[in-house]
Amino acid sequence: MTAPLLEAQGVGYTYPGTTPTRALEGLNLAVNDGEFLALLGPVGCGKTTLLRMFAGFLRPTQGTVRCAGATIDGPGWQKGYVLQEESIFPWMTVRENLEFGLLAKGADPAARRAASDELIRLIGLSAFEGTYPKELSAGMSKMVEVARVLATDPSILLLDEPFGALDSQTRARLQDALSRLWEQRRKTVLFVTHDAEEALYLADRIVVLTQRPGRIKAQFAVQIPRPRSFETRFSPEFVALKRQVLEATAA
Amino acid sequence: MVALRMRRAAVALGALVVLYGIAAELGRGRLPDRIWMGSHYVDNIQLLPTWRSLAEEGAFLLESDILASSVAVSTRRVLAGLLLGSLVGILLGLATGWAWRLEALADPWVTFFRFTPALALLPLFVTWFGYGELSKVLLIASSVAVVTLLGAHHGVRTVPRAYIDAATSLGAGRSLLFRRVVLPFALPHIFASVRVATGLAWVTIVVAELIDAKMPSLGYLLALSGAYPRVPTMLIALATVGALVLAFDLVLLLIHARSTRWMRRTA
Repeated sequence: MTAPLLEAQGVGYTYPGTTPTRALEGLNLAVNDGEFLALLGPVGCGKTTLLRMFAGFLRPTQGTVRCAGATIDGPGWQKGYVLQEESIFPWMTVRENLEFGLLAKGADPAARRAASDELIRLIGLSAFEGTYPKELSAGMSKMVEVARVLATDPSILLLDEPFGALDSQTRARLQDALSRLWEQRRKTVLFVTHDAEEALYLADRIVVLTQRPGRIKAQFAVQIPRPRSFETRFSPEFVALKRQVLEATAA
Repeated sequence: MVALRMRRAAVALGALVVLYGIAAELGRGRLPDRIWMGSHYVDNIQLLPTWRSLAEEGAFLLESDILASSVAVSTRRVLAGLLLGSLVGILLGLATGWAWRLEALADPWVTFFRFTPALALLPLFVTWFGYGELSKVLLIASSVAVVTLLGAHHGVRTVPRAYIDAATSLGAGRSLLFRRVVLPFALPHIFASVRVATGLAWVTIVVAELIDAKMPSLGYLLALSGAYPRVPTMLIALATVGALVLAFDLVLLLIHARSTRWMRRTA
């Protein structure tokens, strides 16, 4: 491991207003190249704020956020950002959604087609390539959003509770899909969630944040072999670690 | 969706036809046929003409070609005003919605003209643009432009933050963002405003055709039938304007349905 790919140094953020809200304070975090890091914390602890800083949509009010050593000064395709809210474009077909990043990059139609073909296969939506998102389930839509940011082959993925609004069955299925996806295309992932089991199942490392203003409360290395499966969730090491993580979040 | 609406519209119109027929038959012989017009009496007036007398009047208006040529002339004016007004209104609305600096500049003007009735502009337009076609078309265009400006502006302004952020982080520049995200999102709002503006255009044409009132035109036909007064002619002219509004609306509805197939439909 060399220098961290994503780095937050002494980061604080205060939302302005009649009663200014301190979302984050004095936070230090480093995400290594190729690492899958889960950021775990209660609602309102500043997880999304931190992710939006890395995505380039917010500037810290204290400290600095860096990407590959350079201060982050705006959004861009190198950081594939999947928002918490639904952001699949409803006026575009699944294929057009997947090709949007390449369209923005000025890729020619043949290259766009090849990339979207591969992504459609990867997420198993061949039957839906020409349909509009209104015909997709919430889970499929979210998977398209994740695949959409992969089209431009960014080195970093920033995922903000992508499966937060789904039922537990769909969530488990999409966690598997994301896990396979990540094993095939190693990226540096910063994954925000409030679900300890989801964090354990997906990540190499878990960082637990405190209540607002968010600071780092605890860290766990998840040394559970991959590929992970349904059985993984019931292995003694998984269960033991889950207990530790849940204790840390509750404390 | 469109088929269902058309069926419902047909039922509503059918009910109106039947109810009117009953009312007219009941009123025949019971309603006065002589009315005081402020300075003199008018005889032989049919306050609620029966379907028979409406059919006779309609046949006369059709055979004499008055109705068809009036429809053609008025429709042409409405179309010209609608096209010109929509074009200007939509472009201005998109611009003021997209560039926030323009909004502050345009806002007072929009508010000012939004509540200025076309009738109030009439003397000014006649003085500026003369008695010809131009002032009629411009009068319609100005009322259409205000409404479509608001529609386009609102459409651009209500694009959810999430779409803009997603597109920006996928690398979209201002131009792509506008063409592929903002514009498609604003389109349904623009269509809704054009539908409202179409109704307004037909309201305005009746007023506009009082400028240098001449046959053939639906506005003058109405004014003339009021001067006699001839209720059957009034009703036929009104029904014709109503039918044209419905026809215009139907065309817009069909275009709207086709261009927004992606939208979630409720009901």
